[in-house]
Amino acid sequence: MPDKSHVGRRYMASGQRIDPESAQAMAQAIAGDGEIREAGAVPPTFAAVYCLGPTLAKLFGDSEVGIDLAGLIHGEQSFEWPEQVHPGDVIDATAEITSVDTKRGMTFVRLAMEAIRPTDHAVVCRATSLMILRTPA
Amino acid sequence: MPGDVADDPSDTGVTAPAASEVAIGDAVTPFSRTVTQEQIRAYADASGDHNPIHLDPDFARYVGLPGTIAHGLLEMGILAEAIAAWAGGNANLLSLSCRFSKPLLPGDTIICTGTVVSVDDSGVATLAVGASSDRGDRVLTNGRATVRLSR
Repeated sequence: MPDKSHVGRRYMASGQRIDPESAQAMAQAIAGDGEIREAGAVPPTFAAVYCLGPTLAKLFGDSEVGIDLAGLIHGEQSFEWPEQVHPGDVIDATAEITSVDTKRGMTFVRLAMEAIRPTDHAVVCRATSLMILRTPA
Repeated sequence: MPGDVADDPSDTGVTAPAASEVAIGDAVTPFSRTVTQEQIRAYADASGDHNPIHLDPDFARYVGLPGTIAHGLLEMGILAEAIAAWAGGNANLLSLSCRFSKPLLPGDTIICTGTVVSVDDSGVATLAVGASSDRGDRVLTNGRATVRLSR
């Protein structure tokens, strides 16, 4: 179970390619049965794939932190997109545990993420996430 | 400069509202979409998030949910689309944040709303945004978005 000693741990995921087909698959999933509003564009929340997904996978695989996915709730999310990503871009993402708090039988883990396009050093996404875990009795 | 609307190959040609024509209290065009289990599965595949609370009704009930639930980030993606549609395209959506307060269930219709709370001198509008389900649950709360308006 995460605790305050884990604050500051960083997880890096380099070389996330913005695959056009994957971006369109997400756009279609968001559109459901409807048409994609901006065909060919990368949906803003595709950051879930190039920023959150690969860094959180490393966090979830960190046995010393020991997050139990069965009890995990995604509580809050923020995204900031200083620059747009485009199909074919290659992105490096990092995540850092910024706080761990326990109250009312729950553990609150806050993370800050950043995704950078190394070719022009542009920050393409900054994000924060709040993950909530039930604390074992 | 990368990221400028004019450089964006996905630019739809839809123009953002003009800063001079947007006033505090203006509403984002209402936007709703019914979310199906098939859509949730498609989102799981697209995002790589195959947590069984989204896909396996028995597991979802085992952990105390009424059944499978939509990914919060799917709901947020629909909210982002709603705001971007009002703002003239994805390129004009600069930031978005929210709390995942209540689950959205398969078959629910998500109803996205937004209201302009400020417009700064650079032409960036801040919106209070959120989403409810057609069952009356406030699913996305404490939402804030910033969008770039045209000059």
